[in-house]
Amino acid sequence: MKGVLESLIRGLGNGSVYALLALGFVIIYKATRVISFAQPAFMIAGAVAVSYLAGTVGFYPAVLLATLLVAGLALGIERVAIRPMVGRPVFVVAIITLGVDVVVRVVVNGFIGLDVRQVGDPWGLRPVEFAGLAVQQRWVAMFLTTAVLVALLFAFFRYTRYGLAMRAAAFDQETALAQGVSVGTVFALSWGLAGGLAAIAGTFVGTGQGVDQLTWIIALKALPAIIVGGLDSLGGAVIGGLVVGVVESLVQSYQGDLAPWLGQNFAIVTPYAVMLLVLLVRPYGLFGTPEVERV
Amino acid sequence: MSKRRLVTVVSVMSLVALLSSCGVIRGDDEEGQKGTVTTGVTNDPCPIPVDKNKGCIYLGTISDLTSGPFAALAVPITQAQKAFWNRVNRAGGIGGKYEVDVQAYVRDNKYNPETHNQVYQEIKNNVLGLTQTLGSPTTAAIIADLKANNVVAAPASWTSAWEFEDVIVETGSNYCVESMNAVDYAVETYQPKTVMAVHYAGDYGADAAAGAKIAAEKNGLKFTAVETPSGATEQGRAITEITKNKPDLVILTTGPADAAAVIGQSAAAGFKGRFIGTGPTWNPALLQSPAAEAILALYEQSSPGKPWGADTPGHKAMREALGDVTPSDGYTSGWAWAYPLKAALEKMVAGGDISRKGLLAAVKSLTTVDYEGMLPPEAGNFSGDPNAATFRQTLINKPDKAAPTGVTIVRDFFTGSTAQSYTMDGPCFDKL
Repeated sequence: MKGVLESLIRGLGNGSVYALLALGFVIIYKATRVISFAQPAFMIAGAVAVSYLAGTVGFYPAVLLATLLVAGLALGIERVAIRPMVGRPVFVVAIITLGVDVVVRVVVNGFIGLDVRQVGDPWGLRPVEFAGLAVQQRWVAMFLTTAVLVALLFAFFRYTRYGLAMRAAAFDQETALAQGVSVGTVFALSWGLAGGLAAIAGTFVGTGQGVDQLTWIIALKALPAIIVGGLDSLGGAVIGGLVVGVVESLVQSYQGDLAPWLGQNFAIVTPYAVMLLVLLVRPYGLFGTPEVERV
Repeated sequence: MSKRRLVTVVSVMSLVALLSSCGVIRGDDEEGQKGTVTTGVTNDPCPIPVDKNKGCIYLGTISDLTSGPFAALAVPITQAQKAFWNRVNRAGGIGGKYEVDVQAYVRDNKYNPETHNQVYQEIKNNVLGLTQTLGSPTTAAIIADLKANNVVAAPASWTSAWEFEDVIVETGSNYCVESMNAVDYAVETYQPKTVMAVHYAGDYGADAAAGAKIAAEKNGLKFTAVETPSGATEQGRAITEITKNKPDLVILTTGPADAAAVIGQSAAAGFKGRFIGTGPTWNPALLQSPAAEAILALYEQSSPGKPWGADTPGHKAMREALGDVTPSDGYTSGWAWAYPLKAALEKMVAGGDISRKGLLAAVKSLTTVDYEGMLPPEAGNFSGDPNAATFRQTLINKPDKAAPTGVTIVRDFFTGSTAQSYTMDGPCFDKL
């Protein structure tokens, strides 16, 4: 039982990172109907920025600065590369985000260099005793930070003018435009938010183990998370991320004993297996809006 | 942007990409080799000659230079070999007749077998041999072509499969022997009862795991193998297996970042057993990682050669040739790997048959190589059957913050009893 709980907490920690990334995907999707493949680049840019800043200003201010920096970068990219494509097929825009991802990662790789860069976090690999369980501090930090951020984000959407504008634009762009909502600002805000969230996720990925040129691949696990949760559901993104993290962690720990016939490293494909299972039962994800088409 | 402009832009970009991939827009290749003696050898001097009256032997380099998992080692390996051959040229070249160029044909494989083969095809008609082909799976992608065309190549990997390939001039013991010796060393030092190999798939990880298995069986120890994928966040299963089964000894065959994740997080979960990692698990930067404390307490590195700071004429020459660089054992390995090729080239030129076949014949006749003390001369035995020629001595290092590359020797070159009596009758990774 102790093992299960420890495994569960590890899964919730890693799942929190997937959830932050998934939120970015969903925020952009809701605003623009485009899946942005630039999230991995923003994630790694955030982690690398923290690794450079933490030495001079300390870890927490570095996280704040890096989040603002990457959010600004995302805003700029949206203005330069995405905004001119408004009205074009979403497929074209999605391909442009792929290009953005590659360009940003190539630049960031120059800053990473060949070695692993440490983000200078205060947790390292130290465990904390918690009801008899040995739990790494960074997992607790990841989970709590994500919980706070998600609460803030939901409050933002619920209670602020811009949050309302974003919800309106997501619901129906043309009507929102007719009501005086600046859809352009909504686009920009969604990219900025997604960039900032990715930067925080990247920093957490780097805790305890650092970042290198291959770390960006982790961001791809947010894709099954958003499909599981439902492409247009913010709550779904959070649940999807946590589900992927927890299932992955439990499979890592117990599949070898319970189902050895699945091979040694089935955990790598579990996010995708979960995604397929959910799609079979609920084609729009757990919390996604079913699409109604009249023929 | 109008559709027509978009089409124009895309067309121009694809044309540029095409020309660039064909080598038209690239400044580093030679424009044909004049005065050709044989493939990759000219009577004309090298592009950057020391003595313009000498001919030039071109050797290719295919390495993980930018984004692959071993880039942190591959770049120093490549730099060291450039310095090595420059030193050879300054000392009179090969047989007083030729200098060696290793800069005209350097290619990046991104640690991808397809890319490796692609760039090999690009340069193979311009080089006599390869001074570096980095990686086991990548080199496996071109081995058939190397054999068919008698292209001699120095590998940047230590898989046991190279013992059975005439065209590959390997230096130092293979992973299989290295892990046999690691287990034998641990048996003497820590008296373990259980051994777990945590390893990547393929002829790097599985080769070492097979060696650990053979040695564990010979010593009557309980053995388990856990295959793990690459990626620091993917090590959860390996960590769980270690903390759940609590082996006395873990033989690690991964990259450095993954090794740090496994050691650091296992220790954080209360594991107190020993780790011995193969050569490529180490990177001095690990001593700056959060896993440093656990690494200093629990980890040792098995190694096919002495580290950067060792006191031998070869190491000293290397340090002088490289000058003011951040020490890395990538340099040490790269430098040592070049000695057999130098010996074979000298023998080929002395014998008069300057051709790929001549070079291969020269390699097959080598029974010893002068490594200037970096390795024993018998490490350079490429004649006779693989079992007799296989070099079986390795070292054990321990992490040491004061050492230039973060490790110092705790056990100098030795052959464990398992490796001593083992018959090398095929690549080890087939036996896991």
